[in-house]
Amino acid sequence: MRSRVDDAKIPEPRFWSNWSSWKEADAQKSLGRDPLFLFPKDKLVEEGSNVTICYMSRNQQDNISCYLEGQQIHGEQLDSNVSAFKLNKVSFIRKTGTNIFCKVDQKDVIKGIVLFVSKVLEEPKDFSCETQDFKTLTCTWDPGTDTSLPKRSSQSYTLFESFSGKKILCEHKNSCNWQVDSDSQEMYNFTLVAENALGNRSVSVLFSLTHRVHPKTPYNLFLKNVSGTKATVTWKVHPIGNYSTLLCQLDLLGEGNVIQQHNVSIKENGEYLLSELEPDTEYMARVRCADANHFWKWSGSISQKFITAEAAPSEALDVWRNVKSVSGRPTVTLFWKPLSKLHANGKILSYNVTVENLDRLSGLEVHSVPATANGTELTLDQDSYQIHVTALNSAGPSPASVIVVSGDPGNEEVEEERVNGTEDGFSVSWKPQSGKAIGYVVEWCDHPQDLPCDLQWKNLSSNTTSTVISSGAFRPGVRYNFRIYEISTERMAYLLEKKAGYLKELAPSDNPQVVVSNLTSHSFTLSWKDYSTDSQPGFIQGYYVYLRSKAEKECHPGFKKATLPDKSACCQHRIDNPEQKTFVMENLQPESVYEFLVTPYTSAGSGPLDAFTKVTTPDEYSHILIRIILPMIVCVLLIMITCYLKSQWMKEKCYPDIPDPYKSNVLSLIKSKENPHLTIMNVSDCVPDAIEVIHKPEGSKIQFLGASKSLTETEFTKPAYLYLLPAEKNYSGPGPCICFENLTYNEAAADSGSCGHFPVTPEALPGQPGPLTSPENLLKALEKNYMNSLGETAAGEASLNYVSQLASQMSGDKDSLPANPPEPVLCSEYKMQMAIPLGLASPPPAENSGLSSTTPLDQSEHYR
Amino acid sequence: MGCPLALCCLLTLLLPLLTPGASMSPAERISQAYDPALYMRKNTSTVLQTYLQCQGSPLSDSGFSAPELQLSSLPPADISFKTWHALDDGEHLSRVQGPFLALTQHLQLMGNDQRDPNPGSPILLAQLSDARLRAQGLLGNMAAIKAALGLPTPPVEDTPGLVPFGASAFKKKRRGYIVTGEYGHWPDRAMRDLALLKAKYPI
Repeated sequence: MRSRVDDAKIPEPRFWSNWSSWKEADAQKSLGRDPLFLFPKDKLVEEGSNVTICYMSRNQQDNISCYLEGQQIHGEQLDSNVSAFKLNKVSFIRKTGTNIFCKVDQKDVIKGIVLFVSKVLEEPKDFSCETQDFKTLTCTWDPGTDTSLPKRSSQSYTLFESFSGKKILCEHKNSCNWQVDSDSQEMYNFTLVAENALGNRSVSVLFSLTHRVHPKTPYNLFLKNVSGTKATVTWKVHPIGNYSTLLCQLDLLGEGNVIQQHNVSIKENGEYLLSELEPDTEYMARVRCADANHFWKWSGSISQKFITAEAAPSEALDVWRNVKSVSGRPTVTLFWKPLSKLHANGKILSYNVTVENLDRLSGLEVHSVPATANGTELTLDQDSYQIHVTALNSAGPSPASVIVVSGDPGNEEVEEERVNGTEDGFSVSWKPQSGKAIGYVVEWCDHPQDLPCDLQWKNLSSNTTSTVISSGAFRPGVRYNFRIYEISTERMAYLLEKKAGYLKELAPSDNPQVVVSNLTSHSFTLSWKDYSTDSQPGFIQGYYVYLRSKAEKECHPGFKKATLPDKSACCQHRIDNPEQKTFVMENLQPESVYEFLVTPYTSAGSGPLDAFTKVTTPDEYSHILIRIILPMIVCVLLIMITCYLKSQWMKEKCYPDIPDPYKSNVLSLIKSKENPHLTIMNVSDCVPDAIEVIHKPEGSKIQFLGASKSLTETEFTKPAYLYLLPAEKNYSGPGPCICFENLTYNEAAADSGSCGHFPVTPEALPGQPGPLTSPENLLKALEKNYMNSLGETAAGEASLNYVSQLASQMSGDKDSLPANPPEPVLCSEYKMQMAIPLGLASPPPAENSGLSSTTPLDQSEHYR
Repeated sequence: MGCPLALCCLLTLLLPLLTPGASMSPAERISQAYDPALYMRKNTSTVLQTYLQCQGSPLSDSGFSAPELQLSSLPPADISFKTWHALDDGEHLSRVQGPFLALTQHLQLMGNDQRDPNPGSPILLAQLSDARLRAQGLLGNMAAIKAALGLPTPPVEDTPGLVPFGASAFKKKRRGYIVTGEYGHWPDRAMRDLALLKAKYPI
């Protein structure tokens, strides 16, 4: 063991004492009853130290294993009972210490120690002392890592001044206050000692007090007389002694950056006039001070924000125009770019647009446009106008921007050229025309596919003939049109050139809508005239026409074989003219299916090759058939229509209700072939004997024409007969008769195969003025009433059969009726050929009329 | 306190101590003591885990066990079933009261041991304090049950006896390990005793 004085008061060098004498200890005795003993117990060491640990065991035969935080450690056996472990550069693990334990195998004996590892005590860094008022010295430092451990407080700090020999224990770990003596000690030599249980570290500093002046932060910083470009700053500082002068630094900051910096020497009150300020701009004034004689440190800063007053806008607006004709009147749309904050000099309140007619003397038109607008629209006439545009803020108007427009749009027929786009934009160049230009304007739309298209323009000086137009809005595959204007000395714009280009051409995304026409068995025509080449994602250079067919393996002349993306083969024809929008497919096979596709192509590629359209060619003769069958169908239709329209005429001609034997050719045919003596029977020769009136049972009531009395259904369940000839009992006429029946009017009668007779009472025929006994009278009455009855007698209500009894063919004499006819013979039947309304039924003939005497028969009787 | 629930439980535990003379039946007393004992049993592992995390190897090793480690002042909770079943009501309670008194004192000692070497672990110190208060509450409940059953309530023997204050840091760590281990067993034993009595004295 040896010792050494360790006190800052004792000057170096400090010497070690001599070593003490050795002393022996009996290890076995220190074991006590325990089978195992570890040493040292609860040792505190500094991180990075080398530590030796040993254990003693009672029984040397015990198998003992030791562990450091779970990891077995192997030591050196010093003797049969003692082993030592050397731990190099132990590290800090936890505040509760590092566990080292040994256990005796097969005895479940565990003994251990805890090694408390402390962080290394660091030397204080950045140790310095300063004063703000020559009364107190404040020393500060960076203590570094805290070495606090259980039962051991962290390091302490002591400040020792060697000239005065004073020493103080610092209350804080990073600062200490030292009272300056009133007799004004000039020089100070401070030693700061950091100390903990394991050792100490120290650091010293020597200085003059006047060189360590750190002024307090200035105060009362104000701005006064703030105008658009000037402002006065005032502030105060805490005085330092009677003769000290402070150097103050005044910074002017705008948007976080120092714009101006000024140094001002002051005693107590500071003042400075700031100039060259921008109107309507926010600034910050910042002040800090230091000792003017011996700079040590800047004081803390004080700052104040202020805003300068507004001034009239300093620059004219950048104005452009667009002239178009609306309803025949020139309409000028003015555009202008908002003034930058630098030039606006305040908040723009509105824009003034003054319009002056240059061709005629007239008053000025002044339009006020709200500040939110970036343009306005004016409707003018064909005269020339000078337009002045100014921006106004609270301080006044800006310089005027002048532009001259005319109702005459000028030469718009300028050929459009192409311009190539690059990553930087479009490189546009032009050729000066007049040589008197005062400048040029390049105009384009940022979004040409939108409405409005976001018109943009760029002003260029008169000596410029090219520029690069760039915009963040430019996109590949969009066609941009540039118009270059020359600005004349009269400030009028004339169109010089037109350019169009793509930032990058793309392949067409859509194919044209193709119309198929002129389809024949060997050809058809394709046309896509509605396809616009201007609105495509690239300059259309032409078209590809693809054709494929299962029937044909070889390509037609003009086509070449091509492979589609799906690996299928087809034929391709290239059209190099973008304006050719028709194509005739020829040399095709009849009755074949062809698939075609028309796709445009640009420098970037062609359109999609996906949707083929199918066309089937007709057979070779179909057009001939169409030429024959179609007219035939038309003719048949015409005939049918004609027949329908002339049906009445046809009926009368071909199948009249009452055939006229005199007009019939049948008779002549029969006569000539079979019976040359066959003659036409005249109806007037036939004496009618009765009229059969048939009433259908569904008629509930039948009204006789002209009769006031109606008959009920039950009264007409059986046919009624109107006898025109004497009743059978009194009949004396010739025997056999011919009975004509018109089947058209009485199917029931026809079916029965007999002519009916019906009795007619005088009351039933009131409308018949005269007797019907004579055939002439009867026929006249029939003819007279026939036409009327067609429309007046409801079908189904009643039917009338006219049964006429004529002279027998055997007698051959129609005029000589026998008074007493023999037994009736079978009559030839003539069925009535016209409907006779019931009203025509004549009353019974007078009794003295032989031919007209009528005797009612039984209702069941029929005369034949 | 860790949470409001723990506060409520502590109040429940301490309530019988504040009103010892309340005229409650034995069944009610037993039932009143049962739930806090159940809650205490569920939270014993938390104290052990927190303690081991702060001590390091070998105590915090997952497979570490030292059945030979015992404290003479803190009897183990293990007991043969035959013996335990043969205990009468008073013995069931008395044989738990003594160890719980020892637990409260050892938990206090652990707190003191940890306050020096481990001032940076307030969570462990708070948990040890909670555990000690719960053990005291259970002791009060046991005494109240005994009184309700009409059993004599002699003062509980002070079992810890001599405390080796000069123990090394490693011994203190090991002692804490034993105490937190037994603190995990005794609430289980107490809860089983209370469950037996609860079945015997239904409400």
